[in-house]
This record gives sequence, structure tokens and C-alpha cells, in this order.
Amino acid sequence: MNPDTSLGNAPVFAVKDLDVHYGSSLALKGVSMEIHPRRITAIIGPSGCGKSTLIRCFNRMNELIPGARVSGEILYHGENIYAPGVDPVMVRRRIGMVFQRPNPFPKSIYENVAFGAKINGYKGDMDELVERSLRRAALWDEVKNELKKSALDLSGGQQQRLCIARAIAVEPDVILMDEPASALDPIATVRIEDLMQELKKDYSIIIVTHNMQQAARVSDETAFLYTEVDEKTSARWGIMVEFGETSNIFTKPTDKRTEDYVSGRFG
Amino acid sequence: MRDTFHKELESLDQDVVRMGALVEQSTLMVTTALIESDKELAEKVKRGDQEIDDLFMDMEKRALTVLAQQAPVAGDLRLIVAILRVINDLERAGDLTFNIARMVEEGDFGQPRLKPVKSIVSELGNAAAHLMGRAIDAWAAKDEAQCAEIATEDDEIDELHSVLLEKLVEMKGDNALALGVRLALVGRYFERIGDHAVNMGERARYFLTGNEEHLS
Repeated sequence: MNPDTSLGNAPVFAVKDLDVHYGSSLALKGVSMEIHPRRITAIIGPSGCGKSTLIRCFNRMNELIPGARVSGEILYHGENIYAPGVDPVMVRRRIGMVFQRPNPFPKSIYENVAFGAKINGYKGDMDELVERSLRRAALWDEVKNELKKSALDLSGGQQQRLCIARAIAVEPDVILMDEPASALDPIATVRIEDLMQELKKDYSIIIVTHNMQQAARVSDETAFLYTEVDEKTSARWGIMVEFGETSNIFTKPTDKRTEDYVSGRFG
Repeated sequence: MRDTFHKELESLDQDVVRMGALVEQSTLMVTTALIESDKELAEKVKRGDQEIDDLFMDMEKRALTVLAQQAPVAGDLRLIVAILRVINDLERAGDLTFNIARMVEEGDFGQPRLKPVKSIVSELGNAAAHLMGRAIDAWAAKDEAQCAEIATEDDEIDELHSVLLEKLVEMKGDNALALGVRLALVGRYFERIGDHAVNMGERARYFLTGNEEHLS
């Protein structure tokens, strides 16, 4: 796929009536939303409401789970990433992901950053790409003299920033982050949050977080997901209750369920 | 969930009503003290202001603690901010009744020639107290319509204040100027108490709607 990513302020993603099933169980129902360029969008909601399921839809990672099935559309710069014939691997090359537990490759710092670019057939100056990516991830100054050192020798916070550098190196325009700071100490968390504010100048970021204060601090827009239950069968699935400017979600949400959740009246 | 937090919010909310009731009572008492030149009642009003001030300090501290420890958002945040602003208005209104009480103690408002003017002052004081009472009711009920009405009722107080000033200007005789100035100040203080009641209504309305237009 080769979408035109130069569309100014047009949405990066447009999600339309997205359903996700794991086998016969419905996990997520009827989600529709837009992701806007160079903004941070947070996805919040109680445990089990489908936050991680939703974020994994944006780069077709759900398909790595046996029995997972997606219906509806996700348009990435106007092209449906779920259209027949679209290679999910190609999708994942354009849309980077950072996970809850930092997962650097068991390779050097340099190789971690260069790996994805090499696979994508990057022909430019690799040293320059590695440096640029590490600088953008606010890690360069700490590792510039130790690029051959194993990534596994870095601290947790450094490893996570290395994973961000790795994601940036393949030159995506979107970075997905699934609870990127929940395994980190408070200082490392603040550094990741500051980094996100820098990154959003160039990238659109979607972050799943169970930390509401974090969502309130870092994001421009927030999507609140919640669980619906079928009383007869006890089946449960996630729905999107409200989506809007973060300042509004946290000062005057329109839906009572959102108000109750962000106020801690249920979890 | 978060029982401690929400119970504390409720407690602060109720204390706003309590503080407002003290201010309303103080305003009524000082009006009576003025009309009847009752210096003992004036002294009671002054002592009562200490209770208002103590409650203000206690509530401010508790509200700041909630902000620091609980990170309230949405309606809870608007409520805490409304409480912080409103207790300020109520504390100032309490100070104004104190000022009036001091003037009753120091002045001689018992003179017969002041009778026509004092009836307007009495109306003004009672109107201010009544408006404060309406503001407390609107706060307690969290009723948007009631909150919206408070602002319009302030007009009656403004009108009475204007009439008072006209009458004071016409006063003649010994010490007319000194007495006139003191009563003009009293009138101004009552009018300001009315303004604080209006502020309370506006803050309650903003808490309910989250609409910034309701702040002015």
C-alpha cells in the first residue's frame, strides 16, 4: 500500500463501524472515530473494555492472535488497511508500535534502530538515520559513545526510548503506544511523556493508558471505551462511549458513564 | 469507589451552605442592629464573623488537600473550584457585615431625623440577606434555573442603593455630611453583599453546566 501521506489536516485514520471478534466472542462493537494528524489521542477505559484490541487494529496486529476477525473499515490516509489484497506486514512497516514492556532485540543499540530500516530496504546513510532516530527519542546523548553495547544492558526507561527510536527509524507517520510507561518508574514515565510532546510535532500518536492522569496530561483527544453486557448470556464487548477534546472529557464530559469513570465512581 | 474523596466533597458542599447561612444571619442581624442602634447586637455580629473566618480557613485547607491528593476531574473539579471561589465571596460578605457592625458601635444612628433614610437602609439590608438566602438555596438545590434568577434579583438591591444615595445627598443639619458618608458606606456594603450572592449563583451555575458563558 502506498497512501498519500501529504494530506495536510485530513484525518490520518478514519475508523468506521469496527467490530472485532475473537472466535465467536465479540470483543469490540461498532467503533467509529478519527485520528487527527500531529495530535496525541488517548484511549481510556476500564480493564477488559477493548483498549488494546482497538489499538492493535490500527496496524493489524490482532491478526497475530488465532481466531481474531475484524470487520468494518480503517482508512489510513484514505486507504482501507483491511481491504482484500493489503499485506498486513506492509501496514506494520508504516505504523510503528511500542509496547508496555520494552522489547528491544537482543542486539546492539545501533542494530536495534537500524534493523527495521534495513528490512525496508533503506538506501540512505544508516549512521545518520540511527543518530537522527536516537536524537528524536531523546536517547542519543546517553548512548552515543556506546552504540555497540547490547540494548539489554540499558535501563527500562532507556530501553523504552530505544524502542521508540526503533519505531521512528522506519519513518512512519503514526506511532502506536500500548501502555508505554506502565512498567517504568515515575521519572522515566515523565521523560516518555515529555518525549511524546516533542514527537507529536512530527507524528500522530495513539496511546492506550489505564492512567487517567497521564491521558489528561499528554493527550489532545481522548476516546473513552466501556463494556456493554448482554444480561441473558453475560457476553461482554467494548463500545466507544465518548470521543472528544481531552480538556472537555476531563472538565465537562457529555456522557454520564464518562463522567463516572473519570471521576472514579466506577472502574 | 473513592468513598473518602466523594464523602469529603459532599461535606465541603454542605459546609458552603452552612457558611452561607451564617452570612445570611449576620446580614439580618446587622441590619436590625443598625435600625435599632443596638450596639450589643452589633458586637454579636462582630464575634460571629470570627466563626465565618474560621470556617473559611478550614474549608480552604480541606479543598486544597482534595486538589493535591485526589486530582479531581470533570464535575468534581468544577465543584471544588466553585467551592474555593464561593467561600471567598462568603468570607468577604462576612467581613462586610463586620464593617457595618463596627460602624453601628462607633456611630449614632439613633437620631430621629435619620428615620426616612433608615427605612431604605432596612430594606436594603433585608434585600441583601434575602438574596444571600436565595443563593444558598440555589447552591443547595443545584438548580440551574434558580441560579440564573439570582443575577436578575440583584437589580432590586442596586435600585435601593441608588435611592439611598439620593436621599443621603439631600440630608441637612449638623453633621449631615459625616452621617451621610457613613450611611453611604453602609449602603455600599449591603450592595456588595448582594454582589457576592450573585457571584455564588454564577459559580453554582457554571458548576452545573460547565459553560463558561455562565461565569459572567
